[in-house]
Amino acid sequence: MDKGNAIEVKDVKKKFRVYFDKGNQLKERLLFRSRNRYEDRWVLNGISFNVKKGEAVGLIGHNGCGKSTTLKLLTRIMYPTEGTIELSGRVSSLIELGAGFHPDMSGRENIYTNASIFGLTKKEIDERMDDIVEFSEMEQFLDNPVRTYSSGMYMRLAFSVAINVNADILLIDEILAVGDINFQAKCFNKLKEIKAQGTTIVIVSHSLGQIEQICDRTIWIDGGKIKADGKPRDVHPEYMDFMGQKRQVIAEKENARKEEKSGKKAGERGEDAESGESGEDKKRWGNGHARINKVRLLDEQGKSQSAFATGSPITIEMDYSVRQKVEDAVFGIGIFNQNGQQVYGTNTRIDQMDEFALEKDGTMSVHLDQVNLLPGIYLLDIAIESQVGVPVDYFREAYTFEMYSQIGDVGIVRLNHQWKI
Amino acid sequence: MKHLKELYDYREMIYSLVRQDLRGRYKGSVLGFLWTFINPLLQLAVYTFVFSIVMPNNIEKFYLYLFVGLVPWLFFSGSMTGGAACIMAQKDMVKKIYFPREVMPISYVTSGFVNMLFSFIVIFVVILFSGIGVNPLAWLCLPIVMIVEYIMALGGAMVTSALTVYFRDLEYILGIVTMAWMYLTPVVYSIDMVPERLRPLLNFNPMTPVINAYREILYYKQFPELRNLAWAFVLGLIVLAIGILVFNKLQKGFAEEL
Repeated sequence: MDKGNAIEVKDVKKKFRVYFDKGNQLKERLLFRSRNRYEDRWVLNGISFNVKKGEAVGLIGHNGCGKSTTLKLLTRIMYPTEGTIELSGRVSSLIELGAGFHPDMSGRENIYTNASIFGLTKKEIDERMDDIVEFSEMEQFLDNPVRTYSSGMYMRLAFSVAINVNADILLIDEILAVGDINFQAKCFNKLKEIKAQGTTIVIVSHSLGQIEQICDRTIWIDGGKIKADGKPRDVHPEYMDFMGQKRQVIAEKENARKEEKSGKKAGERGEDAESGESGEDKKRWGNGHARINKVRLLDEQGKSQSAFATGSPITIEMDYSVRQKVEDAVFGIGIFNQNGQQVYGTNTRIDQMDEFALEKDGTMSVHLDQVNLLPGIYLLDIAIESQVGVPVDYFREAYTFEMYSQIGDVGIVRLNHQWKI
Repeated sequence: MKHLKELYDYREMIYSLVRQDLRGRYKGSVLGFLWTFINPLLQLAVYTFVFSIVMPNNIEKFYLYLFVGLVPWLFFSGSMTGGAACIMAQKDMVKKIYFPREVMPISYVTSGFVNMLFSFIVIFVVILFSGIGVNPLAWLCLPIVMIVEYIMALGGAMVTSALTVYFRDLEYILGIVTMAWMYLTPVVYSIDMVPERLRPLLNFNPMTPVINAYREILYYKQFPELRNLAWAFVLGLIVLAIGILVFNKLQKGFAEEL
């Protein structure tokens, strides 16, 4: 092992045996031989990386890509099927907080038990006791049994122990969701402090922002292999793009499914319309003289999409059919976020478009130059009215689309801006 | 060797788990820790009643004869059967956090051992009151016998705890096995009662010399037969060696099996 390295992972492969129906009992093992069928699932297909002493590394990847397994192998909870993992120094993991807490024992006693699980001796725990208590802000409750604690207090105490172990290598799995905002900020600062002291840190997280703030390096794992390894600044945009595309595929499937459903509904409603009543469906109303049949959102290339990058142009196309001539028609759109808040709405009348009538089937489109909505899921309402204000076809939540972005700005929309000093 | 050092580093964990187990055992009960003493006393009362009144026996002060053998036996059988479940019981910890897995059987057996020591306080008191007398020199051998038994129990617990993870029935099978084992060990009877031709079988049983040694010291007020004790010690080491081997082989898969 190289002297400068804290972790060396060499060509590690990990296979899990997935039983279709596992029997752990003698009877099951003997009687139902066939139940012992299993398949081997390779979660890691040969990953190698070294982590230098004092380096902080973030592991990212979509669910099930093998990043948590990697972390478990590093903690030695599991062992690799092939390959080797070497670590130098004391390892502490923030994977399971409060392991070994006994509800009937006092907070203080549990600190001893919990810290001892990290391999600390009594003397070492005594030395750290003040730090732990101070960090947890729980001094007045320390002699109460842990079962009287709120879950937040419980986690705070557990985190305080784990973070004060003074390990050489710290392994963290999605942990910074402890306590209220203030305590989270405190944990975060503590982590930075620990890193400054030269502790090697490996974090698994879905929060790229957190990784960017702490880590010098990001390893992106995909399908049990390392897909990218480099500065967070370089790896994260690539990863975001990849995830955005993935989401697009999912969102499209979702929309196709919804369309299929609403298509059926429309058919049913058609029958309803003949019987003269369609009041049941609150998502769609109008006199039915014209009807929106299909809504598409197009990207720059004119391809139908349902996920867009913040700042990109979108063209909304709607096919309509006409049953009866609509004089002085007005088309409108409304965009709502998931909280039901309208983020934008307009129509052809507001935009003072020349009057027009709908006589036969056609397609209306509206082009939005730059949609600066911040990441999230948005719902699109479409409406046809006649000038006198009579709804012809008001279609609520006609389309669902998603925005994604690599920039971490917050709010509802991005306002174009420049900084100056 | 490196592993042994690591285990040593985790001594505080063993200590806390033992303490937690001993204190947590009777937590919430009215008498609390007193149960550690009351329990063996009540057992003794039952045995005295059964073997002095219901079915009298020609062994003098049979209740004492039985008790000095039974207490160590219960520690041993408890280590085997309870020890079998000790890793399963700490599933969440094993699945989510690293520590040398040997800590679990070690702390389980140790806590049983400490519990036995408390029971021995009761035994000492009863012996003093029974008028049977003491041989202070022979009593000096007592710690040796206890250590031999501890080694044996630990080896056994390591095997059973590791195997149970993969094969859950073992826990229940062991219940019967230890019961049968008890009757193959001169716990409730004296070895003289056994037909001559069966004795080699009994002597092959590693627990026989251990129980006999306790009895020689406490009941017969004699030095234990050193040859038997040495044999028991060797057997204990063999059991422990097997235990360590099996445990090491199996422990890597614990997290996945649980």
